Amino acid sequence: MAVRAQFENSNDIGVFAMLTNSYCLVAIGGSENFYSVFESELADVIPVIHTSIGGTRIIGRLCVGNRHGLLLPSSTTDQELQHLRNSLPESVAIQRVEERLSALGNVIACNDYVALVHPDVDKETEEIIADVLKVEVFRQTIAGNVLVGSYCQLSNQGGIVHPKTSVEDQDELSSLLQIPLVAGTVNRGSDLIGAGLVVNDWSAFAGLDTTSTELSVIESIFKLQDAQPTAIVNQMRDSLIDSMA
Amino acid sequence: MSIYNFKKVQVVPTATDFVDITLSKIQRKTPTVIHAHYQITRIRQFYMRKVKFAQDCFDERLNQILTDFPKLDEIHPFYSDLMNVLYDRDHYKLALGQINTARNLIDNVAKDYARLLKFGDSLFRCKQLKKAALGRMATIMKRQKDSLAYLEQVRQHLARLPSIDPNTRTLLVCGYPNVGKSSFMNKLTRAEVEVQPYAFTTKSLFVGHMDYKYLRWQVIDTPGILDHPLEQRNTIEMQSITALAHLRACILFFIDLSEQCGYSIADQVKLYHSIKPLFANKPLMLVVNKIDVMKPEDLGPNEKKLVDEIIGKDGVEMAQLSCYTEEGVMNVRNQACDKLLASRVENKMKGSKVNDVLNKLHLSQPQARDDKDRPAFVPAGADHRVKYDVNDPNRPKLERDLEAEGGGAGVFNVDLKKRYELGNPEWKYDTIPEIMDGKNVADFIDPEIEAKLEALEKEEERLIAEGFYEEDDDLMDEDDEIIAQEAQKLKQKTLLIRQAHQQQKGKNRPVIPQNRKPARKVQDLATKMETMGVDSSAVLERASRKRARSETRGESIVRDASMGVVGEHEAKRKRSQSAARDRSVAGLGSEKAKEVADKIRNRNQVQSNLFAKRGESDRHIQTKMPKHLFAGKRKAGKTDRR
Repeated sequence: MAVRAQFENSNDIGVFAMLTNSYCLVAIGGSENFYSVFESELADVIPVIHTSIGGTRIIGRLCVGNRHGLLLPSSTTDQELQHLRNSLPESVAIQRVEERLSALGNVIACNDYVALVHPDVDKETEEIIADVLKVEVFRQTIAGNVLVGSYCQLSNQGGIVHPKTSVEDQDELSSLLQIPLVAGTVNRGSDLIGAGLVVNDWSAFAGLDTTSTELSVIESIFKLQDAQPTAIVNQMRDSLIDSMA
Repeated sequence: MSIYNFKKVQVVPTATDFVDITLSKIQRKTPTVIHAHYQITRIRQFYMRKVKFAQDCFDERLNQILTDFPKLDEIHPFYSDLMNVLYDRDHYKLALGQINTARNLIDNVAKDYARLLKFGDSLFRCKQLKKAALGRMATIMKRQKDSLAYLEQVRQHLARLPSIDPNTRTLLVCGYPNVGKSSFMNKLTRAEVEVQPYAFTTKSLFVGHMDYKYLRWQVIDTPGILDHPLEQRNTIEMQSITALAHLRACILFFIDLSEQCGYSIADQVKLYHSIKPLFANKPLMLVVNKIDVMKPEDLGPNEKKLVDEIIGKDGVEMAQLSCYTEEGVMNVRNQACDKLLASRVENKMKGSKVNDVLNKLHLSQPQARDDKDRPAFVPAGADHRVKYDVNDPNRPKLERDLEAEGGGAGVFNVDLKKRYELGNPEWKYDTIPEIMDGKNVADFIDPEIEAKLEALEKEEERLIAEGFYEEDDDLMDEDDEIIAQEAQKLKQKTLLIRQAHQQQKGKNRPVIPQNRKPARKVQDLATKMETMGVDSSAVLERASRKRARSETRGESIVRDASMGVVGEHEAKRKRSQSAARDRSVAGLGSEKAKEVADKIRNRNQVQSNLFAKRGESDRHIQTKMPKHLFAGKRKAGKTDRR
């Protein structure tokens, strides 16, 4: 089920929230409205946790994680680490990473099996990613952008990449990730997919500006509510052409 | 949304209002005081400014009108034609043209009178010229009365036109009057068009919106059309014709087989054929309405033949619906939308723009690179979770609800520890210090800390047992001791030097100059020399010797004279006693000089002494009430200062 949400008048909800198959992190905001959007969809299934990272609210861009683990930047304080450890289930490994590119959410995109990382990430960080998140790691760019985490969003069922990704690049990435991919936008034409969208295997949250066509693409590619990715090229093709071209 | 927004056109005032507005504006915004004795240049400028200002005011407003109103040649042909139908193109253009001419005339009047004012030779003449200029401008404006009134009417009507976007996805409903066009529109959208059982209920175009296939669609309801030649069509019908002619829409031609509308099937079919040219290159559907009354299957052979003539040609499909029973309404809508979408997509695929979006229409399917299975992970509860419903009274309480109960945003403080997953729920709210004994507690958090501590303690014990920490205390030998003593001395000495220096340095007190210091005694010198180990006897001996000099000084004449007593025997006393000096001789070099000075003084005093005149030293009482301070008119602050 894809839901629209907004964090304090910002449509970039992927900046203020992080969603995986086994937990969800939400920034501490001025009110509980944003948190409750996630809570109403996810409560009782996975823990939805308030947190800050290094005292900031941009948690979605600073940390990266999947079902198996959570990587935090070096700016994370000891207290935040303790809070996350107390809140997350035992099965999730938490690791603080001494990486120069400290916005891990921007430089790493991953699902439970594969991760794409910024080409300049440290060798050690790469190993930590592979060990903690239990994924295969590939150094990649998306449509010429090194910030792979900002320009794509992946789940175990599918992924959306930057709207200017060429067909060949999409095919290559799709084979690496072993999931169907589509190029698309969120938030009424924004190419910052990672910032405007958070997904896991059964739910998705997009910015409030996201149009219904964008939302339908999201639902199809991530196979939410029994939608199939093939719908994008079959049933929705005409609508997409008419709205985009 | 649409680029055609005619609601922003500013109000067009009537001719008299126009003049009033301008004149009062001149009165408010230009200077109003002028006198005949002012310089003539100033008077001319004063009136010239008024004339120029009047011109600017008229110009500004007329320009506003000319720019605000849409130009028929620049807007979409649909709107251009619609305006032609509604307001008459010629009339509209003429009105705007006249406004333009009026603007030019006013400019010319202003220019002429500004020139004439240069020759105005008095205030009166200048004033008359200004009056004439404003009068002529007002006359020109008043002649535009009809144009302005017409334009205001047009403006009011324009603002109420539906905002139709000529380029978007559109369904256009047309047909004879009373066949159910507006009812269909009401079923599809929330436009709430008036529906009445008589012809021409709908007198203008109406627009409504709906959603289908994730897209926004525009539905346009047109007034009914009768079947007669184009020239005989009235304004209401012409609006429909304009919409049909210019909008690239899917056209739904409504037909009423029951003939309840009051027109026969033959008439309706005839209308279809007569306006057929307008449907060229557009998706078209023949919609049979009111099937609850009459279905196409139940038609007689003649009528059936008429209807069949339409269907099948040029890809025209027939669809059936009943707005009364709502049967087939959605079906017709979907069919029509799909048809339009297909034709739009077909058109777009021919263009070049589509190449930019082709990659977004590509679904990349992965090529298997290994045998690993990568299934999705959906936790057990996620599938059949009860969906959150705001209206459910038994809904779970969210943080938002707690926040509302706890005083709202900004007051409520979220409980971060509530959802901790710890071994024992009682531990949730345990306080853990951040810093303890100057150490960061977090640095010591380690699951194996007990074991590690034990290992460390064991090692410590072992080291103690092995005597690792025992000191070896062997004595110092002779040489070391001497060196130590010397070092001690040196240390002491440097310490003293440093102290002495520090005492000297940076003293914050006045320094007594050497010559003011108490006289140094010979004995001091002697002791100092003694300490330095030099013999001081010679110095002492030399110091004790008497100085050779005369016993008495030479005496001055003046002093002796003043003291009065001069004698050899008094010489010793003179030394020890000081005497008061005679000040009359102070400043005078010698006795002789004093005599000269006395002489001059006496001669100067002769005159006053002779007549016993008043002198400087005499007591004198000045006038107690000086006349100039007390006589005459007085004003504030003048009494003691004149």
